[in-house]
Formats: sequence, C-alpha cells, structure tokens
Amino acid sequence: MISFQNFSFRYEESKDFTLRGIDMTVRTGEFILLTGRSGCGKTTLIRSLNGLIPHFYPGEIKGDLLMDGHSLLEMKPSELAGQVGTVFQDPRSQFFMTDTTRELAFGCENLGLAREETIDRIARAAKELELVEYLNRSIFALSSGEKQQIAIGSVYALAPKVYIFDEPSANLDYAATKRLAEIMEKLKSAGYTIFVVEHRFYYLRDLIDRAFLIQNGKIEHEFTREQFCSLPEETRISYGLRTAYPERDAEHYQEKPHSQNTTHLLEVHDLGFAYKKGPEVFQNVSFEAHSGDVIGILGHNGAGKTTLLSILTGLLKQRHGEVRLDGKKLTPRQRRSLSYLVMQDTDYQLFASSVEEELSLGMQEDCKEKIDAVLNALELSDYRERHPASLSGGQKQRVTIGVAIVKDSLVIYFDEPTSGLDYDSMVRVSKLIEQLSDSGVIVFVVSHDFEFIVRTCTEVVQLDDDGTIQNQQLSPTVLKSLSEKYFT
Amino acid sequence: MDETQIKQIIKRQPLHGTALLDPRCKILLLVCIGFVSYFLAGEVVSLALMLVYGLFIALGNGGKWAAKMIITYIVVAYLNALLRYVQVPVLSVIMSVFGVTVLKLIPIVMMGLWILRTTYMDDLMVALQRMRLPQAVTIPLVVMFRYIPTLRIEYRQIRSTMDIRGISDTVWKRVCHPLATIEYILIPLLMRCLKVTDELAASGTTRGLELECKRYALRPIRFAWPEIVVSLLGILFLVGLLFIDQTQIGKIILWRV
Repeated sequence: MISFQNFSFRYEESKDFTLRGIDMTVRTGEFILLTGRSGCGKTTLIRSLNGLIPHFYPGEIKGDLLMDGHSLLEMKPSELAGQVGTVFQDPRSQFFMTDTTRELAFGCENLGLAREETIDRIARAAKELELVEYLNRSIFALSSGEKQQIAIGSVYALAPKVYIFDEPSANLDYAATKRLAEIMEKLKSAGYTIFVVEHRFYYLRDLIDRAFLIQNGKIEHEFTREQFCSLPEETRISYGLRTAYPERDAEHYQEKPHSQNTTHLLEVHDLGFAYKKGPEVFQNVSFEAHSGDVIGILGHNGAGKTTLLSILTGLLKQRHGEVRLDGKKLTPRQRRSLSYLVMQDTDYQLFASSVEEELSLGMQEDCKEKIDAVLNALELSDYRERHPASLSGGQKQRVTIGVAIVKDSLVIYFDEPTSGLDYDSMVRVSKLIEQLSDSGVIVFVVSHDFEFIVRTCTEVVQLDDDGTIQNQQLSPTVLKSLSEKYFT
Repeated sequence: MDETQIKQIIKRQPLHGTALLDPRCKILLLVCIGFVSYFLAGEVVSLALMLVYGLFIALGNGGKWAAKMIITYIVVAYLNALLRYVQVPVLSVIMSVFGVTVLKLIPIVMMGLWILRTTYMDDLMVALQRMRLPQAVTIPLVVMFRYIPTLRIEYRQIRSTMDIRGISDTVWKRVCHPLATIEYILIPLLMRCLKVTDELAASGTTRGLELECKRYALRPIRFAWPEIVVSLLGILFLVGLLFIDQTQIGKIILWRV
C-alpha cells in the first residue's frame, strides 16, 4: 500500500509549491492513471515515488509518503531500485548500455547480483515479456517501440513491486502502443501496483482501476474507470483531457471544405528510394498537393515516413521519380529552400541566443517588421529577448514554426507535432496548422495521433510496410477503415 | 522457447579472440601506443607499429577496420612525402607538421575506436570498479562511452536543420565563417547533451546505478594469464621499437614519390 499524506513539494529553484496537499492511498495491485494538463505536477508526483525527489531533485517537503508503513522519503533512489521501477518517456535517453542483453542486465548488475542470478532474471524477463527476438541486438538498431519494451524488461528484471510509467506512449506508433498495453495487462494481472502518467490514455481504458485528475499541484478529482471513460465531452474538455475513444471521432467527422486557393501545385511523381546496398524503402510514390492542403503522412515506425520527409525536404536525393512545383522539376537544393521541417525534438533546431535572433537567422534582407508580425501572431512577443532553450516545449515549437513563416516556406512539414501534448496544446497546434493552411501553405504532418489527424488533416497518405502508398481525401469511410486498422 | 534456450542465447558471444580481453588490458595497450607513437621518428618502425597492432585488432572482430586504417595510413604517408615537392613558404611547413601529426594519431584512433566497438559496457564498468576507481570517475566515463556513438546521429539531425534553414549549408559559407558554423553545431549539441545526460542519470539512478556493491558482468572479467602475456608482449614490442628507432633502421626513408 502506498499513501501520500498531506504531501507537498517545492523544487529548490522555484518559489511556489509544485505539489500541494496530496492525499492519496493506493492499494497493492491497483492500476492508477495520473493525468492533467502539462505542468500540473504529475511528473513531480511520480518523481517522489521513485525517490528522485528529494535526492536527485532537491527541494522542500511537507507531509509524508509511506510505502507499506515505511517512509519513502528516507530511502535513497538506489535503495528503492529493487522495489519501485520506472519506465521513462523517451526511450532514446534511458539506455546505459549499447546492446539489449546488457541493458536488461543493467539493474541486476548494479544490485551486485551474482552472474547466474542475473542471467536467470533476464532470461525470465525475456520469456515473460516476449523479448527473445531482441536479445543481443545493438540498441541503435531498434525502433522506439522495441526500445520501450527493452526498457520495461530492464525494470522487470529488477523485480519491483511497483511500476511507474511516465508518458510511455509519447514516442510510439499504434502497433507499439497496443503491444505496450498488452505488457501492462500482463503486469497488472501478475498483481503489481502500476502508476501511469499519460495524456493519450485511450489504450489504458480497459486497464485502469482509478484515475486521478491533477490540477495546479492538487488532486482535483478521483474517478473510477466507468466514471472516467464516460465523462461528458464538455467536462472532459474543460479538464483539458484527451478522449478515451478516439475512434468515435471518426463517426462524427465532418468533411472540411477543400481549399479554393490553388496558387501552387506540388506533384510527387513515381518517387522511389533505397539506401546504399539496402532494399527499396518505397517505390512508385505519387501524389499531389495544393496550397492549403493539410496532408497526414501515416504508417508504422519503419515504413519510411522519415525517409519520405527527408526526400521531400531535399535532405536526401531520390533514386528515381521527381518532385514538381507548378510543373517545374525541383532539385533537392530548391526543395530545401522552399520547405521547412518542424522536428519532433525542437532542441535540434534552435541555434541563436534570443528568440528574435533565432527568427532572423539565415535571412539575407532586413525583415524586422515581418518578425514583429510573426511574434505577435504566435503570442511570443513577451519572449523575444529570452534564450530559446529557456522556453517551454510548446513555446519552442512555436518558435520553430515562426522560423518557417519568416522564411516564407511554401511547404511546411511537421514530424509528430503532438507527441506528449495535452488536449489544449494539441488543439493549439491544430489551429496553428489551420492558419498556415489558410494562408496558402502546403502542410504535411507525420503523426500517430488519431484525434489530431481527424481534427487537422484534409487528406492522408498512407505508407504501408510493403512500400506501397495510398493517397486519399479524408472522409468518414477512410477514417473508419483507419480506425479499424489502429484500434482493433 | 524455454528459459535454458534463452540463457544460451544470452551467453552467445559475437566477439572472439583479442576482443574478449579484459578492458584493462586493452586500455593499457592504448595508453602505451599513445606514448610510443609520438616518440617514434623512423618511418619503418612507425609502419611496423601500425601493422602489428592492425593484426592484433584483426584477431578480434576488427579485420575490416584495421585494413581501412592501414590503407589510410599509407595514403597519408605518401601525400606527406609529396609535400617535399611543393615549395610554398610557411604553408608547406604547416602542412607537413599537420601531416606528421595525423600519421602519429592514426594508430591511436585505430586502437581507440576498436576498443569502443568491442568492449561491452558492463565489462568496462566491472573493470573500472576492480581498478578501485571511485564512482565519481567511472559513471561519467561510462556515460561518455555510451554517448559517443549517438553523437553522429545527433550531428546529422542538426546538419539537416541547418541545410533547410540555409545556415552554413554550402562549403563556401562554411569556409568563410568557420567559427559561426562551429557555434551553430555546438549550441544545439550542448543543449541536447544536457537534456540527455540528465534523463540518463535519472534513469540510471532509479535502477540502482549509485549502489557501490561489487558488480559482476555477464561474463567473467579477470586480468588473468592471457591478459598478462598480451600486455607484456605488447609492451616489449613497443620498447623494442623505441630501441630500433635509434639504430640505422630508424633512418630508412620509406615513402618516396
């Protein structure tokens, strides 16, 4: 049993308490969902559970936090290692080893277990979680979903009683999310206590026992599964929550008016690509895009979405086929100059020491007025002197979008713009994209986020594993088939 | 599949030969090569150093890599020799100093990258612990070891953004503004680095990284007879080279054009 008793926490560097008077008792074997807007304190809550607070992130604590009668606050995170296991959000940055087998063994080796015991435990983890096919592989050759499974396996080998997942689906596609839900179900039926922090919680709807809504560092509401999954739409939206049934969006879909603005036409004809010595990533990719179209690029991890983006943006040269704008063939260099890519990880894209400088970077002529206009439109005027790295995730994303607008890009590509975003931020990105499309930009969005796709896109391009492609106007029938593919 | 089969898969070894030596032995040799490579002046002995350690690496999953580095070495040596025929004041001196430095570095790079590729991280951690190094030294070392392979991936990501934004995207711009180019690459790299190391440390901490128990790697790590023999032979060979370098053999000019 875990109980928070009037628990409050303030980070050393901040003035206000991030968590305020949390009272929560969780029985052994319960499956708990913690949700709420970004910055509401859910991550802080689980950091206190796994001992990172107060040892790794120091600060001021009030109240107490007990596990089976002992105070967790007096234990070091390393002492908790065999009892509370944490799977973090970004699978790329939680690996210590460079190969999978040793990553599974990492925790056990830290505990100083004997060799045979370690091997026993990782063999059991590999068997129970069906990870055998990934053994002895390089970490760098795995997809995000596979990495996430190895991360769970590594925690499993430590045999903790409590599992914590911090936004585990943020970087996963639908198939990998399904697999994640299966593993969680297995852990739940084995009697472990599980905490999940998540914005897109649709895949947990059959697993949760209780859900807690956290707002401004307090527990605002506690729900049972039935209550939580049947929240009326307005209430759910007022809490800033994503839907538990994204497939229902497909049924209520209303076709968006096709834009009349056809100033530019981007044609992709018979595009094909293969890496050196590798097999074809895709072939015969053809589609058209008009100014104002918002085109969703869908497909499994590894189906070639990133490669397609790299070719369209001109970072890679295609093997055969061509890309034309208004009938004129484009070289990779020309494609680079007219397009912009907003990456999932904005840290790669910010170079300058202030937001204003960032927007003017790489521009030849003086464009002060334009920058002012863009800063206003993106609600960034108050931050113009700030260092981009000091902004929040959403603000950084808006700065990169701002760069694209200043650059007068005709085509803007978004790579997973809504991973790890709450409802409000997702709607905000969707509206921004709508504005871009109204101003005549062609927008491509790579996304796994069904709710977002339904809300935003006018067309979808589906990349299948066999390298073929389908290009469809978004309509209720297309959405229906998509939702069947994703959710059943 | 049952657990005994899985255990066999776990114990399966893609590395063989010299790659399986204790990491301490590999690091010792690397340090010695580093010293000796800079003190050798003769062309024959330097080439001998390259060839013998190339062979050493080839015996442990590094055949292709050794071949690549030896070829690079010979090409650079020839180019360096060509410089004698180019008489541009100052510049030819600078170039030839540069060339010689590169030649001295090649054996070290060859050995160093081979160690990076053929050493399991847990072997390294155990070896460092057995050397009684404090955790304040071993943990940063291990994080660095883990971070180096990702640097290339991160670098590529940053370069693509720069290309799209038109920042230092042409050779001409890079040559004219080398400092700005470096700055634009380093800033995002450092930001990423800060974030990744923070997350990595958190993930390690919750899995007991800070515990100071005696560790055991997935395979036994011992500085035993093979390591002692290899280290002694390796060092004797290097000392031998230093002596031969002082004799007439050290004066033979190998690279003529």
